[in-house]
Amino acid sequence: MSAPVLVAERLSRELPGDPPVTLVAEAELAIEPGKFTAIVGPSGCGKSSLLYLLGLIDRPTGGRLLLDGQDMSPLSGDERARIRLQRFGFVFQFHFLLPEFNALENVMLPIRRLGRLTLPQAEARARDLLGYMGLADKALKSPDKLSGGERQRVAIARALANDPVLVLGDEPTGNLDSVNSARVVNLFRDLAHSQGRAVVCVTHDPAIAEVADIRVSMLDGRIVEVIRQETGALEPGASA
Amino acid sequence: MAGRLGLLIHIAAKHLLMRKRQTLVAVSGVAVGVGFFLAVSALMVGSQADFVKTLIDSAPHIIISDERRSPPPQPGLTAFGKGAVQLHGYKIRSEVRGIKDWQAILREIDRMPGAIGSPSLSGAVTLRVGGREEALAVVGIDPSIETRVSTISDKLRSGHLIDLERVQGGVIIGEDQAQRLALGMGDIVAATSARGGTRNLKIVGLFKRGQMQLGSGTGYMLLREAQSLLGRPFVINRIGVKLPDPYAAQDAATALEARYAYKAESWQERSADFLGLLLTRNVIMYSVVSAILLVASFGIYTAVSNSVADKRRDIAIMRSIGFSQGDLQLVFVMEGMALAVVGVVLGWGLGFVLMSVLGTLKFPIAGDIQPIPLDRGTRQYLIAAAASLAAGVVAAWLPARKTATVDPVDILRGAV
Repeated sequence: MSAPVLVAERLSRELPGDPPVTLVAEAELAIEPGKFTAIVGPSGCGKSSLLYLLGLIDRPTGGRLLLDGQDMSPLSGDERARIRLQRFGFVFQFHFLLPEFNALENVMLPIRRLGRLTLPQAEARARDLLGYMGLADKALKSPDKLSGGERQRVAIARALANDPVLVLGDEPTGNLDSVNSARVVNLFRDLAHSQGRAVVCVTHDPAIAEVADIRVSMLDGRIVEVIRQETGALEPGASA
Repeated sequence: MAGRLGLLIHIAAKHLLMRKRQTLVAVSGVAVGVGFFLAVSALMVGSQADFVKTLIDSAPHIIISDERRSPPPQPGLTAFGKGAVQLHGYKIRSEVRGIKDWQAILREIDRMPGAIGSPSLSGAVTLRVGGREEALAVVGIDPSIETRVSTISDKLRSGHLIDLERVQGGVIIGEDQAQRLALGMGDIVAATSARGGTRNLKIVGLFKRGQMQLGSGTGYMLLREAQSLLGRPFVINRIGVKLPDPYAAQDAATALEARYAYKAESWQERSADFLGLLLTRNVIMYSVVSAILLVASFGIYTAVSNSVADKRRDIAIMRSIGFSQGDLQLVFVMEGMALAVVGVVLGWGLGFVLMSVLGTLKFPIAGDIQPIPLDRGTRQYLIAAAASLAAGVVAAWLPARKTATVDPVDILRGAV
């Protein structure tokens, strides 16, 4: 077991109200690099809420989140944005590409925002990523000219743009057919196993949960079970 | 961070190009505002400049007359200071002898670089033609100097100022008065001074009508002849001064008065009422044209506001990627600025065209058909641009702040 990159300590999220609504209650979780972690559970169990807390998109109302041992709580919004830009890549159920930009430009967005590469270097990197996703010939297409599976792969390429340690997916296969779904899941496994990234996916698809290295089950905002399992690649048609 | 700014500009440009119609409306709003601002202010500033120029040039910049504002210091007061001597009921003596030692004042004026002083004598005479009598305020001048000090030669309908030197007893009077007395060029008219001297004068020139500063009852003669007609040889009671910089008149007048004690009146002092009027006029003009620009910025507000509302999802996506709050506000502020900049440039074009059209129009002004005075200086262009850009930035910034209210979690989970 390698050292965790992201650690949740009694992480809680409540919505203010009378009485307050608890989304996540005192979650204890360690996210490891090189592992594909799946968070599963019924609808409304708080698995997406936990993911947004882990991804620094939402702020916890209790507990701590440590990234490489550093407490994230005292950081300002801009500092958290900077960390998201450098360390995290997000993939959502919907592709969430910017409609005004073509595939290549969408992938270049985080690279250009980070500003470490020149424009030609950024474009070369974005083309490499699209090539890795098997989309080399679709680089200049606008998102509405791409199929659902292609869009999701562009979104994954964008998530990988700044070479993040952490790749977070919120039902990334939720809108895909089984073939594309298996392709995306195997890609995520590959990101973890071959590239050493920490991959966390929220899903309600049991087939995906089957192939995860670590399976986190949630119920009513609480983590009820963490199972480490030996798995193989997901075959097309295996997911529900 | 040129890369970051470049990226944000790129995003802003994409947003604007995606919403062509709204962009067009906002840009044309600004353009029309700027265009009309330029046209209106060119008219207002132009007419004001023309008016002030008339005010300044119609008479000498400073008029020194044989009057005093305060009594000259009495020897008793100078010698004994406070308390020892008290004077009651002391009146300012009118200087019937005209300006004393005026040659010295003229020499002093000549020492000021670029300044010209023109001595003159004015007095009242009565013109008599047949049974009709009319008063004439006669001014005796040296034509060659006077033309350099005032613009009266421009106001001649017929004849030349220099004819005063050529024709014995020559006089120039106003068109109106000549008409009332049924006089024309070359006619002879009898003039009687208050002291009883009578001479025959010959009309050698006529002033145009409607010259406020001249009045209808003013006539010009040669200084020598006026002195003889008025019975005051070698006397002058007025020195007109022209300065290279009209706006130095007030200071120069104060200095001259302090030195020679004669009342020296600058054009500013003479026209204080008009200058006050111009100030009011400027306040009115700038209120109206600012309103035009303000209304134009409403278009920018609407455009940016709609853009923010439309792009809530994109805002959430970019936030999740790692764009900061400031980045996104900047995107929308830049959209507003871009609308303002393009609007200003088009507005400059529109304003230029409007001014060109106005410049071709001619109206009867001061008895002549003249083009409307227009100020086509770059200053108005810059004011319009600065005001529009400022209004545009504010109009964009107000809705851009709303990007902060976008909660990425809500939108990313709520989906499309």
